[in-house]
Amino acid sequence: MQNERRRRTKSGSEEKEKRHKFFINDNIDILTEILKRLDGPSLGVSSCVCRLWCTLTHNNDSLWEHLCFRHLSTPPPPSVRAMVAALGGYKRLYMVCVRPVLSRLGESEGVRNRVWTRDDEVQLSLSLFCIDSYESSNGSDNSASSLMFLCNSLNV
Amino acid sequence: MKREHQDTCAGSSYGGGRSGNSYSSTKSECSSMSTGKAMMWEDEQDHDGGHGGGMDELLAALGYKVRSSDMADVAQKLEQLEMAMGITQEDVISHLSSDTVHYDPTDLYSWVQTMLTEINPDNKNNIINNSNNNNLNYINSRIVDDSEYDLRAIPGIAAYPIKSEPSENNTTKRLKSSPLESDSSSLPPVTVPAPVSPTRSVVLVDSQETGVRLVHALMACAEAVQQENLKLADALLKHVHLLAASQAGAMRKVASYFAQALYHRIYRSYPQETLVDSSFSDMLHMHFYESCPYLKFAHFTANQAILEAFSSAAEVHVIDFGLKQGMQWPALMQALARRPGGAPSFRLTGIGPPQNDNVDSLQQVGVKLAQLAQTFGVRFVFRGFVCNSLADLDQTMLDIRAEEAVAVNSVFELHRMFARPGSIEKILATVKMIKPKIVTIVEQEANHNGPVFMDRFNEALHYYSSLFDSLEGTPGSLPSSQDALMSELYLGRQICNVVASEGVDRVERHETLNQWRVRMGSTGFEPVHLGSNAFKQASMLLALFAGGDGYRVEENKGCLMLGWHTRPLIATSAWKVHGTES
Repeated sequence: MQNERRRRTKSGSEEKEKRHKFFINDNIDILTEILKRLDGPSLGVSSCVCRLWCTLTHNNDSLWEHLCFRHLSTPPPPSVRAMVAALGGYKRLYMVCVRPVLSRLGESEGVRNRVWTRDDEVQLSLSLFCIDSYESSNGSDNSASSLMFLCNSLNV
Repeated sequence: MKREHQDTCAGSSYGGGRSGNSYSSTKSECSSMSTGKAMMWEDEQDHDGGHGGGMDELLAALGYKVRSSDMADVAQKLEQLEMAMGITQEDVISHLSSDTVHYDPTDLYSWVQTMLTEINPDNKNNIINNSNNNNLNYINSRIVDDSEYDLRAIPGIAAYPIKSEPSENNTTKRLKSSPLESDSSSLPPVTVPAPVSPTRSVVLVDSQETGVRLVHALMACAEAVQQENLKLADALLKHVHLLAASQAGAMRKVASYFAQALYHRIYRSYPQETLVDSSFSDMLHMHFYESCPYLKFAHFTANQAILEAFSSAAEVHVIDFGLKQGMQWPALMQALARRPGGAPSFRLTGIGPPQNDNVDSLQQVGVKLAQLAQTFGVRFVFRGFVCNSLADLDQTMLDIRAEEAVAVNSVFELHRMFARPGSIEKILATVKMIKPKIVTIVEQEANHNGPVFMDRFNEALHYYSSLFDSLEGTPGSLPSSQDALMSELYLGRQICNVVASEGVDRVERHETLNQWRVRMGSTGFEPVHLGSNAFKQASMLLALFAGGDGYRVEENKGCLMLGWHTRPLIATSAWKVHGTES
């Protein structure tokens, strides 16, 4: 009886040791997998946790790509990646277009009959993103204000 | 039934002698306060009211003595007084601040008479005699020696210029009156200026009624212009300005733009289109693009039609009749790049007006679009054409190649062709010769090209009222006041063109969708139905706009119309040459 207890406690403490030895920051692939499943605001918050996390979320645009295309029924063609990267990256796409579009169109769900799908919304976001990039390349005084309408509060 | 002031003095039973400059202005019809200035009136309830039979009880309870039978008359005179005070603000104020005059404000009938005589001393007798007559007679007697203005045509409004200073010799008795307290629960607050501080006059205005009057005044002015009665038109214009000042928001802006346009028409001082800086008009166009969905709707729906027409082509060529900043094309390029079969090679021919500054804006736009195309990995060739009129375009100039699919795109450009006879036929014939896969036309949904000026004016008034209304949105929903202002200026220039110019200068010759259908059909085009994708995109776009509840997308026999509430404002239609395979 006592031997068993000793064995159990010994294996318990070993497990505890193993548990102590696991740092999430040592396992970046697991961390990335977890971060992939977060929503936008949480991803933003997680980038403020520590330097490593910040680097991950900033440099790893694929995290934001997952965020943008999470709701798509079919994954977008690979050419999109190059396009978005050239236009400013997925993070910018998310911040400037996808998030406002999805949230605003999501708000309207109860109000009017939807004739469009999530896919359509993402496509629209991409189009608007292009226009935004084009406009900012114009430079001059109005910097990318074609999407200002997305920043305004909806009258509820 | 004029009550002498001596009577009120003698019969006054006000307690205590409290002096103070006190003037009241009240309306027996309850109305909303104007957005303008207000005076506070200190009033004490007079419970001694009710001198005789027939006093209105409700008002008597508040301290005002008006006979019920006089009520309509008093109301009418109060309106006249309001008008008069509005016009002659300076005179009244200076007079009031220098003279210490006490009127009995409770006796509404005689008080109003007094105020009117103060402002129109010449017409005192007429006022007395005019107790039950309509305003028309009043006007007639008023301006008997004024040959310049014939205001008889104005229905139901008192409008007159004030020539002389109010006379110093008041026939009114000076009496000490107690300040009356206003009961704000039932009547609108009655107001008075502070004794020595700069006085601000009050105008309690029923803004809805003034809005209707404003529209009538504008139409009366336009009628006068059509009949070449320019003096009357000028007088009415002044009146319009006065009424417009009492309005707020969209109505005021529309009215002021129309008034300005009428002014230009009367004095034939219309600013020439060609003298306007093209970079300025481009900037206005950009702000209009940003602040409201009309242009975005146009671009997205036209792009969808073009995309569907180009479904499998390997080489595509788009001819844009009005390139401006090229805002339509990034989205199309992106959609082409995302095509399942891969991106085609994309040629864009952009057409623009001659620039009066030495900047080749078309080429600049082309360079930016080329940069964007490079990021997409789309082969892109740009060509810019400068021409005064689309009718100058020629098939050979456009350099159409045999194996490419051609699309012709015109957003708010084709209606300009109506200014010169024969132009529209020429350009449509050229388009036919090119044999495009699709022709996308976006135009304003209004008939501003009728032969009769009044009809055009009325149509334009209603159209632009809706448009300005939609720009108004909700407070805080506009991106910035500058954007809004620029958009309004953009529309204001269109208004000026529709109303003030004629002949070849009048380029804003909008026609309705049905008119375009007839024209395109008779030229040999058949309609292409815009699909559900276009409808989806348009609906999404509108849902994104703050104030999106007011916008409506409608499908009309294959064409899409964007409107504000029940009024359609722009229409997108797609066409192909009869007999071509889709």
